[in-house]
Formats: sequence, structure tokens, C-alpha cells
Amino acid sequence: MANMDRRGFLRTGLGAGGLMLSSSLSPSWAQSGGPIRIGLIIPLTGGTSQFGATMGQAAKIAETEINSAGGVRGRPIEIVIEDDQSNPEAAVRAAHKLIDVDKVVAIGGSYASAVTSAIAPLCWEGKTVLLTASGADSITKLPHQGYIFRTSPTVTLQGTRVGNFAVELGAKKMFFLGPQTPFAQTYIEIISGIFKAAGGTGSGLVYEDKKSSYRSEVDQALKELPDVIVLGGYVPDTSVVLKDLYRAGFTGKKVGFSFGINDALTKAVPAEVSEGAYSLIPSASENSDAYKRLIAKMKRPSLDGYSCQVYDHVVLASLALARAASGPTNGTAVRDNLRAISEDGEGKRTDDATEALKLVTSGGRVNYDGPSGPLEFADNGDVKGVFFRYEQVQDGKLVVRKIG
Amino acid sequence: MLTDLLQYLVNGLIVGALIALPALGLTLIFSVLGFVNFSIAALLTAGAYAGWLANTTLRLPLVPVLLIAFVVAGALGVLTDRIALAPIRRKPTAQTPLMVAVVSIALSMALESAYRFSFGSGLNSFDMPIARDMKFGSIRVGLQQLHNLEIAIGLAVILALFFSLTRLGKAMRAVADNVDLARLKGIEPVRLANLATFIGMGLAGVGGALLAIDTSVDPSTGSRLILLIFAGSVVGGLTSLPGAVAGALLMGVIGELGLLVLPPVYQSLTAFVAILITLLARPGGIFSGASGVRK
Repeated sequence: MANMDRRGFLRTGLGAGGLMLSSSLSPSWAQSGGPIRIGLIIPLTGGTSQFGATMGQAAKIAETEINSAGGVRGRPIEIVIEDDQSNPEAAVRAAHKLIDVDKVVAIGGSYASAVTSAIAPLCWEGKTVLLTASGADSITKLPHQGYIFRTSPTVTLQGTRVGNFAVELGAKKMFFLGPQTPFAQTYIEIISGIFKAAGGTGSGLVYEDKKSSYRSEVDQALKELPDVIVLGGYVPDTSVVLKDLYRAGFTGKKVGFSFGINDALTKAVPAEVSEGAYSLIPSASENSDAYKRLIAKMKRPSLDGYSCQVYDHVVLASLALARAASGPTNGTAVRDNLRAISEDGEGKRTDDATEALKLVTSGGRVNYDGPSGPLEFADNGDVKGVFFRYEQVQDGKLVVRKIG
Repeated sequence: MLTDLLQYLVNGLIVGALIALPALGLTLIFSVLGFVNFSIAALLTAGAYAGWLANTTLRLPLVPVLLIAFVVAGALGVLTDRIALAPIRRKPTAQTPLMVAVVSIALSMALESAYRFSFGSGLNSFDMPIARDMKFGSIRVGLQQLHNLEIAIGLAVILALFFSLTRLGKAMRAVADNVDLARLKGIEPVRLANLATFIGMGLAGVGGALLAIDTSVDPSTGSRLILLIFAGSVVGGLTSLPGAVAGALLMGVIGELGLLVLPPVYQSLTAFVAILITLLARPGGIFSGASGVRK
């Protein structure tokens, strides 16, 4: 084998490297008949996987609840979980499998905006409802024919809240540091706009994720002498950026989002590095009985809003299909009945999935509110009425500063 | 502008130092065994986890942590090589180097999944103090990163001495040059292959531990960097040890200097354009013909 020439070797080596990047670990199995399947595309591995495991557990709890309440139209529901590997390519393969092989009526989960943007066309073309926990505004602007429902606040809304909050903290010069995502540029524009309107300045840069050092990016940021830096990344890159900010001696304010500054991050960096950083967190409906029941079943003291949303994805799809008492059990039936069970002003208001299912099955009207919130949707599919929590890192732990 | 240039140069050297050790390992294994062992990504991560466990559970300081990272990554490298890669090498054909390289990718993914199963997907930080940078005029330099650079260069020098002065090192070069001739001389290629794998993976393990001290360790720590490591090794000529260090440093410097003219999002592009230009101008890598394992 020593006689393979170097160029030939390089060709094969580069090809092999490419294979490594694009390969998939997702299992595939085929089943037939019987249960109504609801797909779940969630990040169990990769950079956005902090909430993946709890998303899966929450969905399984919803599955058990629906099935022990008699299932949907006499049939059990079955959750089919696929790992998106925090990678749009893997997510597209998973979506093809769920839609074409498993014949799911809806796909839930779908967390990173890049993942959701990639699988959305497959969903509406395949007449499958997509319930997503992503934020990028562009998603619901797609021609989705009503098949997309978003349970997470949009980027515009989150960016506006972060911008206003940073201004409230007394900052005048904002700099945004975030990785290439479908929403990075939007964040820079929105937050800079808010600062300019308040008499300050704002700018930012978009970096490449997966780097082991962001020293030069930090240098570029600090040249602008910002008094607040907004961190728009996920946990792996944000942890490196925070360390490099610390090393560079930055002492101004740091504000980030829940997908970047969260418990996973505070465990990943020394306490002095994350100290004082603020995080904006789309809050679950934490005072609701639905939330309390869910965390009790999961045996956890608390649960992130995203996992609550995924629980609701399963419940919403099941209730919608149950309401379409006859006709085919498909994505179109889910789409056409989803609003009727989640925002019917004259329906009985309940936050108990079991009770809601029994009511719907017996022909009653219901207005389901889940652990993630009241679940009412604008015409484009965006959720309305979202709560936020503002938390701050103190001695390596996030503490609540404000709810609003 | 000049200050910017200098600062980015320093930053680039620091980034390059982080990938220099695994690039050295990759080059060493390629020199002796004749294939690119992509599982070096997972073994870099193994070293990082071993170092992290040694540091956080046994409370060990830097030097023993790096030693443990070296031994664990090296031993695991030899073990997995024996199990997954050596059987394919036993009946060599023209396609064998490619097949072994592809299997090494599979091996890397299997190991990565094993870490994920054992340690979860979270980021794990070393229990070591993080220091503010030192300032030389207006240039910032990180103390720990400076150590990384020293360790990388030091290990490269030790390796170079090993290959030019010791019998074992010379035997390795003989195997790299011509396996059959070496065997006729009574050299046992399998034992040397194991040693090369042990040292190569050990170096990657040390690199992984240093990287993780600087950032943190998660199951994908190595696979995020593998293409950059491969690029450093290729630019250095794939068989030259000083070339691997220089190639890695060059990759780091080019990437950071690219920031002066390109938006940061395109940073890895600059590195790959550098490979392209290097190979077009010097198909053997910038250090082809320089003293290394293979003369």
C-alpha cells in the first residue's frame, strides 16, 4: 500500500473526509398499519442537543397520556423519534423517512432554525403538519399552505426583547457576536435599530461555528469599545466566545439567548467566565397545572420551554386528528382541525390533555392550553402570547431577574 | 493596522498550536503505515476525556494530566487499530489505503457514539484556573496558549531526535521507506506499526487535552477539527514531522489573517484555498524533501 501516490491518496483522503461529514447514524425501521404515527425530529446529538433528550421524554409522556385515554379514533398513537444531529442534511433524510416510510401525520420538535428551514418544504409538499420550536422569522413566511405551526417566539420578538432589555440595563454601545444561522443578520439589524432609536450605537459580526478559538473575532468586537455584547450562539461556540472575552479582559455586560446561555453553558465554563451574563428565556407556562403535572411525571424540578413545546406538539396533533372524527387520518386533517381544539373561544378551557381528548372524542368543544402556553396561532402559524424570563448567572448558576 | 496584523498573527499561531500535535500524530501514522487514520479525531477526544477525568476526579495538575491523556489515547488507538483496521491491512491491494481510511472514519464515529453514551452530549470543563491575557504593548497573548505552542514545538523536536538518533526511530523510517526490505533486515513491521500508532494517537490525545483545557470537551471535540488537522498535515507534506507543525501553524495563521479581508464566516474557506494553492504549486506539500521521517 505504500505505492499509492500522494495525489491519489489526497483525493481519496479528501473524499473520505467528506463522507465523514455527511454520514448518518439514524436508525431506520419500517412498520405497517395499526397506530397513527407522529414523527419527531429532535437534536439528540451535536451543537444544539442540550434539550434533545428532555424533548424526547416529554413527547413520550404525551404519547402515554393520549394512549391511556383511549388513543385517537380508536387507534393508538406512536411517536417515531429521529435525531437531526443538529444538521439540516441529516434532518432532511429523517423527514423523508418519516413522511415516505412511516407515513406520519405530523412532525414535531424541529428545533434549530436551519433544520426547520430545510425540512419545511418536504412537510408541506408531503401534506404533513410541521410543529416547530424554531425562531427564524423566515420559516412562517414560506408558502406553507397552513401546514406550519410555530410554538416558539420568533427571532424578531426575541431580538426586540433582548435589545430593549440591554437598553434598560443602561448600555449605549452594543456589539453582536453570533454564528452563521438563518437569524444572525436579523438579530444584528433589530438590536442595532433599537440602540440607535435609544440614542446609542450597534453593530455586530457573524462568525463561523465549530472553531476552537474566537480571539480575533473578540478583538474585532472590542475595537468598537462596546459596553454590552449580545451573544447569539448555541452553547459550544458561546462557551468559547465567553472564555475569549474573559481572557481579553472584557468587563462590560453580556446578554444572550436561552439556546446559548443556559445550565449546560454554566456547567461548561468556569464560574468567573459566565458571571453576570444575562439570558432571555422563552418561558413555559410555569404556573399552569399542565406544567406542574408534566414536570412531576418527568421527575424533574423544572423543565425548559422547548421540551414543553414538544409535549404540546404531540398533544395538538392528536387532538386535531381526534376532532376530525371521520375522513382520512392525515396531515391535512391535522392542519384543518388544529386551531379548533387550541383556540376555540367557546370551547371548554382545559390544560389537561387526557380531559381534552375525552371531550373531543365525545364530540365536545375544547380550548386546550398546554404546559408551553395558551397555544393560539396567528394566520401565518406563529404562536401568540409568549412569556419570557430574564435570568442572570450568579456564582455559576442562573437566577431569575425578571419575568415579562 | 500593523497592530491588527501582529495580533492576528499571534492569534493564528495560537490556533495553529492547538492543531499541531494531532497533525503531527496523523503525519507520523501516515509515514509509517501508509494511510490516513481519521480515527485520530475520536482519539483526540479520548485524550481530552482522559485528561478531564484525571483533572476533575483525581485533582491532578497539568503535566500528569497530559501524560495520562497520552497513554490513554495511545493505548486506545493501538487497541482499536488492532481490532478494526489491522485485519484490513493484512491483505493489501491497491485500494487498501482508501478502505482503511474509510473504516477509520467509521471507527471514529463508533468511538464518538461511545463517548456520547458514556458521558452524554454536554460540554465538560477542566478544573483549571482561567487567566486573563498578558499584554506586550498592544498585543495580547494568553499564557496557557503560549504553553500549548511550547509543548507542541517541544514534542516535535523530541520526535525528530527520536527518528534520527535511536535504532527504533531509524527502524520506523526503514519500514516507512520499504516494508519488505525492512522485514528482510529483521525488522518486525507489526510491532513498529503499533508503536507509531501509539505515539501518533498519544500526541493527538495530548493535543485534545490541551484543547479541552482551553475550551471544553464534548463527544464531537475531535471531529469538529479533523479537516483542519488533515489540512495542516497535507500542507506540511504528509510525511514530514516539522512540516506537520509548520502546516498546522500556517493553517491557523492563514485562517486568522483572512479575517482582515474576509467576513469571519468564510474563515475555513481561506484554509482550504491555502491547501489548493500549496498543492498546485508544490504537489508534495511545502516541506516535501525536508528532513522528516521519510528522506
